[in-house]
Amino acid sequence: MPANNLLLSSSPSSYTRGDVRKIMLAVIIALMPSTVYGVVLFGVPALGVILVSVFSAVAAEALFRLATKQDPRIGDLSAVVTGLLVALISPPSLPLWMAALGAVAAVIFAKEFFGGLGANPFNPALIGRAILVMSFPAAMTTWHAPFGALTDATTMATPLNVVKLGGSVADVGAGFVERGLASAADYNSMLWTLFVGNRAGCIGESSILLILVGFAFLLALRVVQIVTPLAMVGTTFLLSWLLGMDPVFGVLSGGVVFGAVFMATDYVSTPVTPLGKLIFGVGAGAITTIIRRFGGFPEGVTYGILIMNAIAPFLDKLRVKKYGFVPPAKPAKEAGK
Amino acid sequence: MSIKTFKGGAHPPERKHRTEGLPIENVRTVKQVVIPVNQHFGAPIQPLVKVGDVVKRGQKIADADGRMTVPVHASISGTVKKIEPRLQPNNLDGMAIIIESDGSSETAFLPPLDGLSCTKDEALARIREAGIVGMGGAGFPAHVKLAPPPNKPIDLVIANAAECEPYLTIDERMMEEAPGDLVLGMAIVMRALGVSKGVIGLEDNKSHLQGQLESAIASRHYGNGITVQLLKTKYPQGGEKMLITAITGREVPSGGLPMDVGCVVHNVGTFKAIADAFQEGKPLIDRGLTVSGAACKTPKNLMVPVGTLVSDLVPDVIQIDEEAVRRVIFGGPMMGPSLPNWTVPVQKNTSGVLFMDEREAKVYEEGPCIRCGRCMRACSCRLSPALLNNALKANDLDLAEQIGVMDCIECGTCSYVCPSHIQLVQRFRVGKQLVRAKKQKEAQRAGK
Repeated sequence: MPANNLLLSSSPSSYTRGDVRKIMLAVIIALMPSTVYGVVLFGVPALGVILVSVFSAVAAEALFRLATKQDPRIGDLSAVVTGLLVALISPPSLPLWMAALGAVAAVIFAKEFFGGLGANPFNPALIGRAILVMSFPAAMTTWHAPFGALTDATTMATPLNVVKLGGSVADVGAGFVERGLASAADYNSMLWTLFVGNRAGCIGESSILLILVGFAFLLALRVVQIVTPLAMVGTTFLLSWLLGMDPVFGVLSGGVVFGAVFMATDYVSTPVTPLGKLIFGVGAGAITTIIRRFGGFPEGVTYGILIMNAIAPFLDKLRVKKYGFVPPAKPAKEAGK
Repeated sequence: MSIKTFKGGAHPPERKHRTEGLPIENVRTVKQVVIPVNQHFGAPIQPLVKVGDVVKRGQKIADADGRMTVPVHASISGTVKKIEPRLQPNNLDGMAIIIESDGSSETAFLPPLDGLSCTKDEALARIREAGIVGMGGAGFPAHVKLAPPPNKPIDLVIANAAECEPYLTIDERMMEEAPGDLVLGMAIVMRALGVSKGVIGLEDNKSHLQGQLESAIASRHYGNGITVQLLKTKYPQGGEKMLITAITGREVPSGGLPMDVGCVVHNVGTFKAIADAFQEGKPLIDRGLTVSGAACKTPKNLMVPVGTLVSDLVPDVIQIDEEAVRRVIFGGPMMGPSLPNWTVPVQKNTSGVLFMDEREAKVYEEGPCIRCGRCMRACSCRLSPALLNNALKANDLDLAEQIGVMDCIECGTCSYVCPSHIQLVQRFRVGKQLVRAKKQKEAQRAGK
């Protein structure tokens, strides 16, 4: 009598409507303020890098999965996120073919070879960036002042570069005034300029304000947890101060906020346990600061996060105690309470 | 009093509006009942009747000795037509006694008993004789919970009025229509246990019942010590362990029972059944349930004799859009089993029957785990489902056990929240079986 096409799977029979695609879409939306402002700052070349990088990432994933006879996964938008991230942490003057190469490396080497979405041990975008930095050190460290054509005349050191080369924080402020990026050379005007993001740097990393807008969006949708970014930025602040550097400048000037919000919160390559997330953030912030202070590079966010990625599986062992946990040493003795 | 809750959980769409305000409709005229002999969690029992016997409504028709057993009673008067295996709501064929109605309204109830003056042994015997099991789902014999060993002092009796499963509204209706029975049932249980405190744990989507319950408590002399605690609406609040934690802050130790933290929990339906067993001498032979789902044209709250085939209710009592039905569930959508048809009897622990359509019953293909951590935060047992899933996929049973697969209450919240729609709880169920089998093997080997 009853229909014979009834579903018979094990419970539950009700599922959330959320899916991976919606999560990725939320990340893309959260990246949009920084993306748009990157184009405002650096013009058409930045837009070119962004479009080429996204397109290359999506095409690389599709072709790789086709070649290896796996189902296409363009729909989940994860390649779009990877491509966008690679672009946002690249300099705006990056030749387009290099941007394409970085995106392809991120998707193929860092992700698909390991098994695709969910299987990459390292943050794909940062691997893409690391490969580009090693392959093309000059192109990856050529910076330009915002609001102008990207010519030899408009090259400008990033704030962290100024400091790395022996300059002071005041020199950074003077530089801003010279380029018309700040109205006065005082400390607060300099910090404001950094916070708004009107400085030389990667396409998407400079505006702390807009990164925080994206972060608030992700937090509101509960896509990311606050603990890792807070731990990473907090550690950078504290350790900068302990190592005798200007902590406020340290947090506002480089890519640490961008990295903390959009890279250290990457699901796949970071721990899933709460304590693991905390240690991940602290470790990434500490390595970043140590590289900035003692290393050869002015910035250390890339390696700070990549190194912590490597120990993320280990940090996953730091699970919370299960409900009703009874220590094995004295089994259930006090159970009556 | 503030609104309490437990940590974790999720909030699936409630979909209770279809049946929320509908009075319980009493169904008396069923032509036959198929009464499964074993409807409880525990040792199996045997039929006491044979084919051809004439039985009365309320007459005991199956029983056995043993602590973890409860008898089963005829829910209608008539003739025993067959005793044969039939499909039960647990998706297995089990021995069932099929009774054909003779249309009479004769009953063979127990004599009424004053639960507030009888001895503890009399009370426990009555609860067992009335065939009362936990009506929230598991079907655990009610009297067993009321006889804790002396080294487990009980200080709190909890009425589970969370009704956290979506769709279901029968407990809500029961409390609306017979709040006094709930109070009486609780008073009897509290007295049998020598406990002076009782709490009704009510989710705040039913907060309109609070005043009514409180006045029902206040107007009865035996209501002393009973209070209503509002709980934040969240699944799986009605899980025994979660309810205890929400109300008391205590955590039932791993592998333990509520009695280990001084609590006894019963569903509100169970308390009502206990009240009936004393007041009227009526065994557990009627079951209230919610019939709902988008493919059910007549969503209702019903009271039917135990053993009523759902198919026999169609079309006089309920109408179903047979074209649209894609899933039939006994119980709620989060934990209830899906059945291959609806020629299935309502049991003592059947809280609802849902007829889901294509949209509600949508199943998804399993995607890769992106380690988003939603299951970690949703797991009310704090079992790290994502990591447990990895362990089981790698067949690492030791790690799975260490993470706590045996503590999983199988509420299904992890599977519900997973954006990749990974069959988490489903894999944990299999994992529990594997761990049990492994332990058995080890025990056998050690025994040799």
